[in-house]
Amino acid sequence: MGIKGLNKLISDNASLAIRQSEMKNFFGRKVAIDASMSLYQFLIAVRQQDGGQLTNENGDTTSHLMGMFYRTLRMVDNGIKPLYVFDGKPPVMKGGELAKRLERRETAEKAIAELKETGTVEEISKFERRTVRVTKEQNEDAKKLLKLMGIPYVEAPCEAEAQCAALAKAGKVYAAASEDMDTLCYKTPFLLRHLTFSEARKMPISEISYDKIIEGLELTHAQFIDLCILMGCDYCDTIRGVGPVTAYKLIKEHETLENIVQAIERDPKSKYQVPENWPYKEARLLFLEPEVADPDTLDIKWQEPDIEGLVEYLVKDNGFAEDRIRAGAERLKKQTKTATQGRLDGFFKVLPKTPEQLAAAKRKNTKATDDKKKTKKAKFGKK
Amino acid sequence: MLEAKLEQAALLKRIVDSIRDIVQDCNFECSESGLSLQAMDNSHIALVSLLLGKDGFTDYRCDRSISLGVNVGALTKILKCGGNDDVLTLRAEDKPSVLSVMFEDSIQDRISEYNLKLMDVDQEHMGIPDTEYSASVTMPTAEFQRIARDLHTLSDSVEIDVNKEGITFSCDGDIGAGSIVLKPSSNIDRPEQSINVEIVEPVTLSFNLKYLNHFCKASGLSNQVTLRLSGEAPLLVEYKLPNGFIRFFLAPKIGDDEEA
Repeated sequence: MGIKGLNKLISDNASLAIRQSEMKNFFGRKVAIDASMSLYQFLIAVRQQDGGQLTNENGDTTSHLMGMFYRTLRMVDNGIKPLYVFDGKPPVMKGGELAKRLERRETAEKAIAELKETGTVEEISKFERRTVRVTKEQNEDAKKLLKLMGIPYVEAPCEAEAQCAALAKAGKVYAAASEDMDTLCYKTPFLLRHLTFSEARKMPISEISYDKIIEGLELTHAQFIDLCILMGCDYCDTIRGVGPVTAYKLIKEHETLENIVQAIERDPKSKYQVPENWPYKEARLLFLEPEVADPDTLDIKWQEPDIEGLVEYLVKDNGFAEDRIRAGAERLKKQTKTATQGRLDGFFKVLPKTPEQLAAAKRKNTKATDDKKKTKKAKFGKK
Repeated sequence: MLEAKLEQAALLKRIVDSIRDIVQDCNFECSESGLSLQAMDNSHIALVSLLLGKDGFTDYRCDRSISLGVNVGALTKILKCGGNDDVLTLRAEDKPSVLSVMFEDSIQDRISEYNLKLMDVDQEHMGIPDTEYSASVTMPTAEFQRIARDLHTLSDSVEIDVNKEGITFSCDGDIGAGSIVLKPSSNIDRPEQSINVEIVEPVTLSFNLKYLNHFCKASGLSNQVTLRLSGEAPLLVEYKLPNGFIRFFLAPKIGDDEEA
């Protein structure tokens, strides 16, 4: 999932790129959300007190519906216009990663079977969460629910993150929302994390600006992708022993993956070993030219919710409380009716910072990292 | 080094009071010509622009441009420590870490001095284009404040309509609807009570009343307020200050038909 250590690398080296803020600050923004990722989150997080999933009378899981309905509602209440994007077929190269995930699930299932006899409820629940996956039916359920709620959704031809990024790049939405850091490799102008988290967690939303990362890390787009591949993406293995810090150093030194591979192979004393048949070029191509639908051809419209339809589906078929669903639907309806608040960004343009200001910001930045290093050293000293 | 003296602390107190609901942290820019500030609220809906020319101070000296990063809430607390009629002096070094605020009460011979810790505020500076506004309405501040307050009891948003006849504020809320019509009038004895409407073409726009009420906190700074509207631009609410101004910009609400 995502790219290991990228978040930390960015916050260490390009701290200006990440901004924490509250949901209400995204007032009036349209956001493309990676639906498959959200559904997975809901299935894991939306639970009963005993840790079991929510179910209806027939025993079918309803955690995803609960999550989809209430978290979407929370966004709409805050004036955000969400648009969901579903995964299409996985790219061939993700096969390895997917096989690994399947394996992990199987081991977890075995562990549950063993624990059933002896283990405590908590232990079983822990492993049970590892077996979670989003089924085709649950995807269809979510789409049906969104349609009733009047929230638009799009089916991506391939990876949902790539489609979200394409929508944001084309200006159809303000940002892509996903927990997956590789969304940044598709050059989305902004990435929002923690948007679909529960309100109770009080997790601030982090807004990551692509331009500021590139500026802060002093890399080109191609170099940034190479960096992410080195750090470990879903599509291919990494070089053993290369973590985020080394990866960044290598890219800075050699500029491209080709050069890095060459340098490692040429140097017999190198402690790194490039995996055999390392498909980094193919992985790079997936990031540079992902398979996406043209944003202009997509029909994106926010509509009034079908209140009776929602009641029929959620209350009658899935056993939700009628008064709550009706109240929620009313809120959805109210938001579609009222005019949206405009933002000044559309009228006023941000002036580029003067060289002095930039220099000051940089000084501050290096000072902050120096301070950090100092404290780190101090800690080591104590040991 | 900055040294700026105001005859009455009330001016700065009122200015800071009027912006503190909108911005939390901002940079006060001090230059040879005076003190200025530009800041947006977190959700980028409203913008405050303040200018206090050096002639507005009794004494003003600033050799090099200085940027003072201030937490507005903290500044408010310090300003509350001074009386309205105190003489106020602001002082800062060239590369300041604190802003010194001194109050002198001439009647009681009391001098109090406070140091406010400054901070680095990373702020975007917006370019505000010169706009030819379609309509411009000047009215007593008290009148505008009352309209904003009264209508806010009914609804969150107000529709402002300006045409040759005058200006209409109307709203429609859960409990009912309301509207206020003001016609141009001139009061020779008390010019500050006049209502003046200049219009190139009629405009109708909707705005958030919560923000308009925040702007009205500046009412104590001036007798008259000017609203400028254009179909293509944010609303401008301007309060004139002695040798300067405080301007609030507010993005309009956008109808759904423009969405598609």
